[in-house]
Amino acid sequence: MRAGTVPSTAYDGLPYTRGGTVDRKEVGALVQSAVDGDAAAWKAIVEGLSPLVWSVVRAHRLSDADAHEVYQTVWFRFAQNLRRIREPEKAGSWLASTARNECLKVIKGLRRLMPTDDPQLLDRISEERTPEQSLIDSEEEASEAERIRRLWEEFEQLGERCRQLLRVLMASPPPSYLDVSAGLGIAVGSIGPMRQRCLRRLRARLDAGRAL
Amino acid sequence: MNGMYDDGFGAFDAFGQEPFDDEEFDDLESEQADDGGEFDDGLLEEELRQAAAILDPVPAELRQLAMDAYALYDLDARLAELTFDSLVDAIPVRGATDVPRMLTFTAGELSVDVEVTSEGLMGQVMPPQPAGIEVLTGPQTLRPTTLTADAMGRFTSAAPPTGPFALRLRAGGEVVVTEWLRA
Repeated sequence: MRAGTVPSTAYDGLPYTRGGTVDRKEVGALVQSAVDGDAAAWKAIVEGLSPLVWSVVRAHRLSDADAHEVYQTVWFRFAQNLRRIREPEKAGSWLASTARNECLKVIKGLRRLMPTDDPQLLDRISEERTPEQSLIDSEEEASEAERIRRLWEEFEQLGERCRQLLRVLMASPPPSYLDVSAGLGIAVGSIGPMRQRCLRRLRARLDAGRAL
Repeated sequence: MNGMYDDGFGAFDAFGQEPFDDEEFDDLESEQADDGGEFDDGLLEEELRQAAAILDPVPAELRQLAMDAYALYDLDARLAELTFDSLVDAIPVRGATDVPRMLTFTAGELSVDVEVTSEGLMGQVMPPQPAGIEVLTGPQTLRPTTLTADAMGRFTSAAPPTGPFALRLRAGGEVVVTEWLRA
């Protein structure tokens, strides 16, 4: 399976509107089906909400090893608690806040904040391209790759708060503000204004770079 | 719930409370005036989403582990909740390094105290009773470390758990599993 790019089949055709992007009723129904033994429902939950969990973990800038362990712990615990989740339609928020709490524990326990700006991350884009693709559109691809690389570089250099917020917002499918709030411990009402400011700030950085 | 994690996380708390007017954003007002207030922030966010999917996607092996985790949904076992974690609930001791992680899991009247150090794991089942214990490390723990609690409920393991773990206990005719945790 190719990770990250394909939205869950479970959510296809549902409106990706802000505030309830991963449809909450749908998630609630999937959780209920998984409780009743439907493995396909579990799969759909993982496909739909994995990127949210990963984004929350990444937003906290743990080392790769810690990030992997937190991600696993969150899903293992979710499976364990499946029957006990009081509001199944809020499974996304449950996962996001569990991920946040586990990240905070790591930070508190180890006191080692390792930035994830390892250069390999930026090189991964070349691995994603097959030789065929590179041959066909090499020039177009190169400029597209360069554009994404620059975007990511500027994003990584944003202030900590903006970087955190945008890293969670860019989960796919887009998370609801309730889930973002659960994952970052910020008020739902402040997410919209913060988001707009952070995106403006990023746009300004990109424009400034282009002007040089 | 947030209160649990207040200690030492001032930055996180401030995140929610400050109306975002710290120095990081001092020059934003002028930026906004300059661009006339019109730009497609939804489009930029979507570009970021695409970039994340390429540059920082959920690692495939992790996604698979989450898929496999459905096996951990166990109707036959009673869940022992984490009710004490020294990392969160204990007052830090000044200057102390390598403090053991003290954990308590509770399922009704049964509780399990666990102490994790770099040397290993030790614990006690309460009320004291013999128990068979498996140390699980993932959805498919092929050969779990098995421990035996003595008549006093005490058990030890010379190997500290690495990564997420859970204890599966057979005691007094029932199966109890502790909440997954990262030691």
